[in-house]
Amino acid sequence: MTKKRWGFPDLGVGIGLRTVHFGHILSRWPDVDWFEVLSENFMDTGGRPLWVLDQVAERYPVALHGVSLGIGNTDPLNREYLAKLKGLAERTKARWVSDHLCWTGILGRNTHDLLPMPYTEEALRHTIARVRQVSEILERPLVIENPSSYVEFAASTMSEWEFLARLAEGADCGLLLDVNNVYVSSFNHGFDPRTYVDQVPAERVVQYHVAGHTHKGTHIIDTHSDHALPEVWELYRRAWQRTGPTATLYEWDESIPEFDVVHTEARKALAHREQLQEAGVAHGA
Amino acid sequence: MALDLPLERMQRWFQGMVVHPEGCDAALVAPEAEQEVPLERLREVILPSRTLTPAERLEIYHGMYPLRMQEALASDYPALEHFLGDDGFRELVMQYVQEFPSRNYSLNRLGDHVPEFVRSAPGIKRPEFCHELARLELAISQVFDAPEVPALTAEQIAAVAPEDWERARLRPIAAFRLLSFRYPVNAYVQSVRDEDHAGHPKARLKDTWLALYRRSYSVYRLELSRSAHDLLRDLVEGATLGEAVAAAPRRDGRRAPQEEELFRWFRDWVSGGIFASVELDGERR
Repeated sequence: MTKKRWGFPDLGVGIGLRTVHFGHILSRWPDVDWFEVLSENFMDTGGRPLWVLDQVAERYPVALHGVSLGIGNTDPLNREYLAKLKGLAERTKARWVSDHLCWTGILGRNTHDLLPMPYTEEALRHTIARVRQVSEILERPLVIENPSSYVEFAASTMSEWEFLARLAEGADCGLLLDVNNVYVSSFNHGFDPRTYVDQVPAERVVQYHVAGHTHKGTHIIDTHSDHALPEVWELYRRAWQRTGPTATLYEWDESIPEFDVVHTEARKALAHREQLQEAGVAHGA
Repeated sequence: MALDLPLERMQRWFQGMVVHPEGCDAALVAPEAEQEVPLERLREVILPSRTLTPAERLEIYHGMYPLRMQEALASDYPALEHFLGDDGFRELVMQYVQEFPSRNYSLNRLGDHVPEFVRSAPGIKRPEFCHELARLELAISQVFDAPEVPALTAEQIAAVAPEDWERARLRPIAAFRLLSFRYPVNAYVQSVRDEDHAGHPKARLKDTWLALYRRSYSVYRLELSRSAHDLLRDLVEGATLGEAVAAAPRRDGRRAPQEEELFRWFRDWVSGGIFASVELDGERR
């Protein structure tokens, strides 16, 4: 089995903590291995969301996942945001903190989108420096997720997976491999998703995301609004064979169904993991 | 051949595409965009895909921006959205985010300027009613997220000697707002929550007063008489209980509250958890 950097644990199979499920979680304490928490939703509240999070963090392992860090932004880092993120990580005893390889806005604006980076040497140097800075401030290694994207830059001089690998090495950070994002971007940009998952540095992958998407015919949008396609699960299995047991999270963020529907979908990951483990196909197993 | 565009300038140009109030076609030929990327050189920045032109790929990001902003504001201002209707609210959102784009890491703060904006938004119907509706909905969000402060307990109240109450000052919890309106906006909010399609109050002048507070992580809206509002206002502004009660009969020649009324109001406010502490001669009890 691939030895993880920093000894990050395989938390098993988790789901995202979402407001619509608060009642179910508080009344049932369901048999979920862990929860992923959207950091920004809990940073500025002293109300019920934070109270629920405290209850959840007392009972389950938690990892923080952000959308507003803007690691690729050319604006200065937002120190207030980072201080609050650090405080939330300490409060919840978060196992790790992740965000996306993207930028979110410039000139002080936040578009609240995960905007695409050009994969250039300049962008790589810039992002490595920022990840190092953030890791120092948070006093923990940052985990970076591969994005889904809808444009490609003519200026890019390397593939996304090469950029990610060099970023992880240069900044000494972890990776969150979203196999649905790989699938979405592979369709949008016309590359082989198997090449992507084969090239990502396995020892740095500390978490997986699996999700559904929306096919628009000419392109795919990463909506997190459905069950994952068999092709996405196949990518998960392929990647898993290189990384071995790794914390896995099922994302469902639009048209969120009842808790049990999301949980059942997440547990498909468990079935895949068990099959692979029984077959002894995990790298090094 | 790629256009040589440093990361920071690329982000400025790209953000201009995303947030432009008209379509991407208009954004691409805006003077500041053309200065950076002449339209005829667009393919030197954004590559086409098998199915989409560079402009169509950019349009994906541009199209998602207003939807995200609308979703966030509709979540905070459901009654305002209902009053304006889908088209009216969408139009308002587009105007609003041009003047008050998000500058925060959280979408929860996006709507902070809506009450002031709707007062003078071009073409909006019934701006004063909308202003008051937005003021109430913003206050609800603020109370929902305010820091949790323990409410005054029965033991703390019992510890104050009867003869000391006259010079006692009561401090409210953080999750409390006292509001007065010229329109029945609380009834409107309630009718929207109840999905009372036949019974939405008309946007006609009618003075109303409201105490908004949170207890056990739920937000409550307590309608008040004018006299009760004025008494409570004096208390939370720092008057002693004796001063506030003494001022009550003198206001505008109105009838002095009866003793049982005063008792009932005070009981409701204390049991509602509106007060955090009682102070005697500057000392917290």
